[in-house]
Amino acid sequence: MSTIYQAKSIRTMDPHQPHATHIAIKDRHILAVGTADDIADWQSAWGPLEVNTDFAERTLMPGFIEGHAHMMEGLLWDYHYVGYYDREGPDGTIWPGLKSIDDVVAHLKQIQDTRDDPSEPLIAWGFDPIYFQGRRMSAADLDLVSAECPVAVLHASLHILNANNFIMDAADVKNADNSEFIRRDDSGQPTGEFLGQLGMYMAMRTTNLDLLAAASSPKTLQTFSQVARQTGVTTCTDLANPVPEGAEVAMRETVEKDSFPMRLVVAFQGNSLPPEESVARMQALQDKQSDKLRFSLVKFVADGSIQGFSARLKWPHYYNGAPNGLWYIEPDRLREYLTAFTQAGFQCHVHTNGDECTEVTLDAIEDALRAHPWPDHRHTLQHCQMASRAHFKRMKTLGVGVNLFSNHLYYWGDEHRAITMGPERAGRLDDAGGCLEEGVPLAIHSDAPVTALAPLFTAWCAVNRLSSTGVALGGESEKISVEQALYAITMGAAYSLKMDTEIGSLEVGKRADITILADDPIVVGAMGLKDISVIGTMVDGNVHLNQGRDA
Amino acid sequence: MSQTLPLRSAQKVSLTIITGFLGSGKTSLLNHLLTQSGGRKITALVNDFGALNIDSELIEAQHGNQVSLTNGCICCSIGDDLMRSLADIMRQDPLPDHLIIEASGVADPTRIAAYAAVDPQLRLDGIITLVDAAAHELHAQDPYLADNYHKQIEAGHMLLISKPDLVEASQVEHLEAKLRASHPNTPQARVRHGQLPIEVVLGLKAEREIKTTTPLAPHIEDHGLASWSAHLHGNLSREVLAEKITSLTPHVLRAKGVLRDEQGAYALHYAGGRIHFENLDVTPSGHFVLIGKPELPNAEALTNLFQPTGS
Repeated sequence: MSTIYQAKSIRTMDPHQPHATHIAIKDRHILAVGTADDIADWQSAWGPLEVNTDFAERTLMPGFIEGHAHMMEGLLWDYHYVGYYDREGPDGTIWPGLKSIDDVVAHLKQIQDTRDDPSEPLIAWGFDPIYFQGRRMSAADLDLVSAECPVAVLHASLHILNANNFIMDAADVKNADNSEFIRRDDSGQPTGEFLGQLGMYMAMRTTNLDLLAAASSPKTLQTFSQVARQTGVTTCTDLANPVPEGAEVAMRETVEKDSFPMRLVVAFQGNSLPPEESVARMQALQDKQSDKLRFSLVKFVADGSIQGFSARLKWPHYYNGAPNGLWYIEPDRLREYLTAFTQAGFQCHVHTNGDECTEVTLDAIEDALRAHPWPDHRHTLQHCQMASRAHFKRMKTLGVGVNLFSNHLYYWGDEHRAITMGPERAGRLDDAGGCLEEGVPLAIHSDAPVTALAPLFTAWCAVNRLSSTGVALGGESEKISVEQALYAITMGAAYSLKMDTEIGSLEVGKRADITILADDPIVVGAMGLKDISVIGTMVDGNVHLNQGRDA
Repeated sequence: MSQTLPLRSAQKVSLTIITGFLGSGKTSLLNHLLTQSGGRKITALVNDFGALNIDSELIEAQHGNQVSLTNGCICCSIGDDLMRSLADIMRQDPLPDHLIIEASGVADPTRIAAYAAVDPQLRLDGIITLVDAAAHELHAQDPYLADNYHKQIEAGHMLLISKPDLVEASQVEHLEAKLRASHPNTPQARVRHGQLPIEVVLGLKAEREIKTTTPLAPHIEDHGLASWSAHLHGNLSREVLAEKITSLTPHVLRAKGVLRDEQGAYALHYAGGRIHFENLDVTPSGHFVLIGKPELPNAEALTNLFQPTGS
């Protein structure tokens, strides 16, 4: 079917024609973009075309592209959200933020009292104690929810977990050896808070459940795509996935359906196998791809997180004196992998949080490119939160792109100023302005489920650079304009995925992936970006309306 | 309905973490341990199958990231999958006697050891740190890795100096002296091509084995190490025994005993500075074994030292 959609405003992200009001779609692609004056010509060339006015009062944009998220976002909605900020669930329900530990406990207690089988483990996620003036959650708090079944609360960072005494007793924690990963109170008693993956391990051992399993089950994929649709995302990444044998077939069955509202780009976890086998696995995945499912990227995680003090920072390291972080891959090993994948012609995305890790990764990429020159490799640094201008200059020279974790400015900006890196370095955190000025291709991301998947919110963060308490990080040179931010969540991300000839802008011949907004972001301006309502999306021209919104 | 695991069940798995930089000989050591398991059922969790040249006669089957051996199995896990792989292993029935985790070259072994603290069925036997004699200077000064390197040495309950044959003898001695100065209580041993008595790395076998009075194989001496065993009858208090063993630091690498005191029967496990007592509900054999450096006191002195105070 061929349709002309009339809109109040179309922001195309195509410099030849930045603004339009009508868009014609045929066979899953964009046939034409223009105004009411063009309709007669389109009809005579390609007609008949049906004119649809469902979105006549709406703004259309290229479908948003999330260049760094994880399928786990789809899994976590099986559990109960207890974060500080409101968060929209896959069915459009707004889960209100819980503003105190007591609120979290009361919310879980209510769930416990009304669910079918109160002996099942009760798992919650998204908790973040940094907003509670130093008070930490204890096992006794969670015993108020229930002491008769396992109760576990996973923190927003995914790296800390609180357990109730049911779990603590099962694991015999009171008699446990001293470990810096078990938080203890002043009297030396374990509080119920566990660092790293220890808490998740205990919860899994106690409940005999694999809480993180089913990471690519059809249900998880469905939920993931629904969260994406609610926020206007038409192409989303899963960064990364070990893609065990057979997973590619199962994923494709779900993703291929026209009712599945999302294109999925899976990054293969490069170090899940030794270099040679890893390249072979990646090669084997290539003919398993389709228009909607890609296995086009290889992902590496080279260091940890800044707020978890596991990122690798250059001197003077952490502001609070914490020891420098961890390498997740040896620098030599990273070089070996990057060289093997560069030789084989696969684009690599490398997680580098700290500036030392960014430098080491650039060294490794430079060595790989000396050995196997490749002008359009588009290797991309993911997060890359502490990069300096010198790093951006070097990326430009090497042809390396960047995908910045702009949401950090809001969620952890205050912490970075006060604790992890101090005001100067926090001022240039996720420096999108510097990145663009130095000519480095830019995308920005949420790292969902670490922070909420919502490209317009991510754009708001990069434009305004405000922490959650309203403190500004850096100045004008680090900010980007609304237009630049909108480009970053569409064409910028498409470029980083090597999909910019297919998606990312509304121009003739590209896929009909469109985000339908209640208001025009250019008109709304910087401060209102995050509050624009997403009406729905089109993927390959198929309309997917959001729950809880009127078209 | 989910089921709550009987986490406090009697069966315990001993956990040994092998750490050390890339190329320090972790894989060679693991290979040796898997071929010389001496009846132990071992599960090994490794980073990379590729490098592990598993004796084909040991392999029963391979399925995905798991290789079944006649005496155990090898699982492969990378980075953040360690937690799930470990949970999977601890769900096996029957459980292995011993779990060896080969940490990645840049892992913080204390993070891995922490799992044993919250799993009552997992007993940390020790962290074994391999120190590459040929690359020590390089690693200790690496601009990006030196802090990790020192952290691994710091975390080690036993330091194994690998590749001593690749450098001048005086260089090895210098390294050993340096490590002894910075870590006076951490025992050291040399290891060549992964060859080391399994008792040193994994400890002496389970209680049921040590009850028999078979003398230790002479291979301990072949490796330039010393051993001593005796029957200690009568009561020997845990505190006193701990003191006596500690007095032999750093020349003692391993000790194991099945003994009793006024509180009842107990097993003692000693691995590189860590002492662990376990209550037993069997009649103890009184068997006691030490493995250490040639600098250990002679048999007569040891007999005098460990003589029980009462009967």
